[in-house]
Amino acid sequence: MSEDGIRMVVGLILAATAGAAISLQTVFNNKVNEKTGSWTTTTLALGMGFVFALVASIMAGEFSRIQLGQIDLWYWFAGVTGVGVVFCLVQAMKRLGPTVTISIVMTAQLSTALIWDSFGWMGIEKIPFSMTKLAGILMIIAGVLVFKMRSKEKADLMEVENKKRMLG
Amino acid sequence: MKGVLFAFLGGMFITLQGVLNANISGEIGTLPAITITQFTGFFLAFTIWLLVRDGNYTQIKSVKTAYLFAGSFGLLIIFNEVTAIHSIGITLTMSMLLISQVLMAFFIDTRGWFGMEKKQIHAPQYIGVTLMVLGVIVMQL
Repeated sequence: MSEDGIRMVVGLILAATAGAAISLQTVFNNKVNEKTGSWTTTTLALGMGFVFALVASIMAGEFSRIQLGQIDLWYWFAGVTGVGVVFCLVQAMKRLGPTVTISIVMTAQLSTALIWDSFGWMGIEKIPFSMTKLAGILMIIAGVLVFKMRSKEKADLMEVENKKRMLG
Repeated sequence: MKGVLFAFLGGMFITLQGVLNANISGEIGTLPAITITQFTGFFLAFTIWLLVRDGNYTQIKSVKTAYLFAGSFGLLIIFNEVTAIHSIGITLTMSMLLISQVLMAFFIDTRGWFGMEKKQIHAPQYIGVTLMVLGVIVMQL
């Protein structure tokens, strides 16, 4: 396999592992959320992430190599996006329910990615826009929506359950 | 309408988070980048928690210890995401991430892991997976 091919496969595997980990984390966080509350859960999740990242950085010896001056002020603000994700998703979920929320989130997520790649903003290597990219994204969105489809009867039951939960 | 706006911003934030982490990691290394962004996130969430005090944090004792460590996945998630963005671009990374996320969630559901209610695989799931995989292949054409 060519060097580019290997790079591609490794990249895809890394992204797939991250996706699987997100689902696991969501389930576990949900367990914490049921017992405590959404901000306790968010604080705990990010706190854990911070502690593990700090220990890993120190063990890898990467921290000692950085000069304090290298850390731009805006780096600190990048972490705010993590809280933005949680807050926006919780608010959307409350108002729209899971199916509609996930459709819009996916569309926004992938179109932002496509636009960013096409312009190569902020030191990201530019990958030219193509109609096949757009077609691929639309197919993925359609695929996820079909995948999430349920029988009408079950969907109605879910709706009732959700309403009960919101009112209760 | 407000819900739609929140959902849209949420999706944008997911991509933005990956891109910003990738950018910072190019400057100071991936692990320190994750440490800094997770710290700010933690600090902000903690401040909000102090103000809101929602739910009942003392109940944390009744949660299985393993679940409390879910946040540690954040390190793996962002590390892989950032490395993938550098090698295959944002669009492909986000697509793959999304597909594997949906599949993993479904896998957990069908197996009934972690006390989740068991679900069955039907035709829509097979068609959906086929569409997603075709989508990734089409993107590479």
